[in-house]
Amino acid sequence: MGLFENMRTAPVSELTLREVVRISPDASIRDVVNTLRAAELGCAVAVDDDNKPCGLFTEAILRMLLAKDPACLDDQVADHLTTAFPWVKLTDSIEMVLDAMETKNFRFVVVVDENGKITGLTGQKGLMEYVAEHFPGEVMVQRIGTKHYPEQREGA
Amino acid sequence: MADSQTPDPGKGEFQDPLENYDPPTFDDPLERGLHEETVTAIQSQPYAAISTETSVADALQKLAAQEISCLLVEQDGKLVGVFSDRDLLNKVALEYADVKNRPVHEFMTQQPIYVDETDSAAAALSVMAVSGYRHVPIVDLEENIIGIVSPQRVTKFLRAQLDKAAS
Repeated sequence: MGLFENMRTAPVSELTLREVVRISPDASIRDVVNTLRAAELGCAVAVDDDNKPCGLFTEAILRMLLAKDPACLDDQVADHLTTAFPWVKLTDSIEMVLDAMETKNFRFVVVVDENGKITGLTGQKGLMEYVAEHFPGEVMVQRIGTKHYPEQREGA
Repeated sequence: MADSQTPDPGKGEFQDPLENYDPPTFDDPLERGLHEETVTAIQSQPYAAISTETSVADALQKLAAQEISCLLVEQDGKLVGVFSDRDLLNKVALEYADVKNRPVHEFMTQQPIYVDETDSAAAALSVMAVSGYRHVPIVDLEENIIGIVSPQRVTKFLRAQLDKAAS
């Protein structure tokens, strides 16, 4: 099958899911930033006692907070979590990830199992990796490189 | 004496290196669309740019005011870097008081991977997949900035391509 059918029928479990950075709602933003730096990720998830996601803290939230008040680093992250985050089930189609990102305008999508417990994180990178698998020639060009390869991860 | 029909390697006769090249063909309508559309089919404007000497504080305020995640950093009209939410997270957030007045070129991601305006949309998506870049600048043949492909724009483009393939 090609990309078109795969996106509509293949389940989210076929995407490479990223490990979730779990945080306590009681943590300070400073602690969360340190955690995200160590994990090289731009999104942390607050989970409840049942391992269900209850809020997201993203680098976009951090940007807006910093711009408003740089002293926000000592705030509790609970005060700044977004609860309107996109999520999909492992058994949903990959197209649902695209829809979730578009509808909520997020680049991270929380993945939960049939019981609503968090199992991973996907989003733009996972989706792009899946799409790129269908263009091995283009991937080869990027890996061999007509241009330099960045020494540091973006960035963007 | 050499046959007039036989190429003489000593004379450096031109041989087209692409004479046996078969361009890829795609049966899948979505793959065909992503391969045939150039990257300019993905919305790439407007974009926001700053100079290398812009302060970190001003760059942050610009990101926040425009509610965007990435600024292109240019020098003499050429792309030299990007300054994004990830740079803020990794290099600025905890150090903000000390670095807010320093120039952004000290904290930007230097020499970002970009695509040419004639590259396929699939090429831009492959950059995102392989290099981990979420924002991919587009430049013309003179390496002048044309625009930037963002996650939101790629999502919208993919949605439109899926709908087109379904119709």
